Amino acid sequence: MTYKLGISRLDELIGDIKSGTNIMMIGPPISRKDDITNIIAHQGLLDANAVVIVSTREPGNNVLEWFERYDSDVPVDRIGIVDCVTRTLGFGASDTDNIKMASSPVDLTGIGVKISQFLEHFWMEMQLRETRLCINSLSTILMYSNLQTVFRFLHVFTGRMKAANALGIYVIEEGMHDEKTIVTLKQLFDGMIEIRGSEEGYQIRAVGFTPKPTPWFDYEVDGTNIVLRG
Amino acid sequence: MIATGIPKLDDYLHGGVPIGETLVYYAHPGVEGAVFGMQSLFHALSTGISGVYVASSTEPRRIREQLGEFGWDVDAYGDRFAIIDAFSGLIGADSHERYVVADPGDVRSLTQCIHNAMEDLREPGVLVFESLSTIMDLCGESETLDAIEEWNQYAMLYDHVMIYNFTAWPYSDDTLLSIKENICDSTVSVGGIVGDVIFGQYFGVLKANWTDVVRKYILFKVLKPGGVRAYIPKILVTGPFDAGKSTFVHALSTRAVSVDRFGTTIALDHGHVDHKGFAADIFGTPGQERFDPIIKLLSGEAMGVFLVLDSTRSEDFARGKQMLEITRSFGLPVVIVANKQDCDGALTPENIRDKLDMPENILIMPAVATTGEGVFEAFETLIDMVTGV
Repeated sequence: MTYKLGISRLDELIGDIKSGTNIMMIGPPISRKDDITNIIAHQGLLDANAVVIVSTREPGNNVLEWFERYDSDVPVDRIGIVDCVTRTLGFGASDTDNIKMASSPVDLTGIGVKISQFLEHFWMEMQLRETRLCINSLSTILMYSNLQTVFRFLHVFTGRMKAANALGIYVIEEGMHDEKTIVTLKQLFDGMIEIRGSEEGYQIRAVGFTPKPTPWFDYEVDGTNIVLRG
Repeated sequence: MIATGIPKLDDYLHGGVPIGETLVYYAHPGVEGAVFGMQSLFHALSTGISGVYVASSTEPRRIREQLGEFGWDVDAYGDRFAIIDAFSGLIGADSHERYVVADPGDVRSLTQCIHNAMEDLREPGVLVFESLSTIMDLCGESETLDAIEEWNQYAMLYDHVMIYNFTAWPYSDDTLLSIKENICDSTVSVGGIVGDVIFGQYFGVLKANWTDVVRKYILFKVLKPGGVRAYIPKILVTGPFDAGKSTFVHALSTRAVSVDRFGTTIALDHGHVDHKGFAADIFGTPGQERFDPIIKLLSGEAMGVFLVLDSTRSEDFARGKQMLEITRSFGLPVVIVANKQDCDGALTPENIRDKLDMPENILIMPAVATTGEGVFEAFETLIDMVTGV
């Protein structure tokens, strides 16, 4: 059981990602990390995986619309979104089949319960054995809870991802946290997707999957595709 | 005593939590633990007791909505219900609650509010903490443990009951041990059956200072509306052809489906029961001998069995006994349902016991599945046997 990111050049260089892998994606603001996260999730849908997205930046409906906008055949029954935004904006939305509402980004207990419910649903009722969990983003959670609290939460859920042979993607905003925070969190991950600014725009590379990091690539996001150059 | 309102838990606690004592719901991460505290709060309110909810990770307005989703309208209880808002201050939002913690990161600020609320409460009252772990995350582990001891002393002083929801994130071993074994008078573990994912949820009493602990774990489901329901994943209904098994399943069930042909079950009946705090999935087998291989398949992992007999047809009783053997259900709790008691020639349960040569410890209960008479009594009896009370 292995996974692909859906970022072709990187996939070629790092090969298949083994199940149970947890990956930190770190990069500066407006480098389109949201889109890249969704592209990795979308690759999961193409590979018949289940996808669970914890959204702390966008209402769940917006996340779902992204998939529907770029893929008219998207299998929505394999998407589960834990929405940590809508209720904090004061909207009294109810859970749907695809979107479960968390009280707030502070409510890690509630977020954990919703993730577990989706995992159980996909495993037990849909018999799906390959799952991707994308948390976008840890930075928002870290705004409300201290590092130790978030570390405990991640310690549990990165362990669950390993147990479930899943793939975990965890997004962090570069520049929002001190070095100690990043170093502490890195301990929990098996690899990283790094993004940096360049004269041309932004560059991406993968670290920790091969003996040396991959080269940096300029990239462009186009719908559900990400085109790497260089 | 203040009852928790959680099905079976009050039996295990011998009535609930004594006045002045404390209980912690010790939940494993990813398991639906918070609803236990909410249900206990609402049950207290609905039985005339005042209640205070300490909100630490959710807006008070949202808490009222969450309670409403379970069908619990707390605002109907007027000033017998209050929220200590230890959340809004965290996100810089205004609060209109009676008790507002100015600085949720300072445990002394929270303690002051708790003290005020306890003084104001009509005795006896119950204080329920939404998330002790969030308070611990904000205020520090040792500071929170010290504060809990102080709050518990207030509870004793003012004759209130304290109920804490705690999620057992990987805190220090000392902290977890303290919460689990030392700091409260009773501990209820709320856990998950963990494999590749969490397959099911259970609760059980780990400790209760006022009574002997019943070491029994109950599976549960959370329903909206409804809250915590003790859950029996599989109860088998078997019996000879035309004994009334399908009618029995449908009479018990809130929803049911039968796979039949010309009115005869050829595959199975499936129903879901939601009754007096219990949820159960029940599976009815066909009765004809040619379906015996299906019966074997259906009967795996059952937790209890109903053997339904037509009380007017003693010639089918041997077949009924044979079906218990086919389902390999000896050793499981069994209730024999003496159905069709309204028909001429129906034998009494005692007559049936003689004909079947059944020992006294096998219960035989009269029923009329077509009218529903006796079906829920039989269900409650089997549930008591399955849950060991």
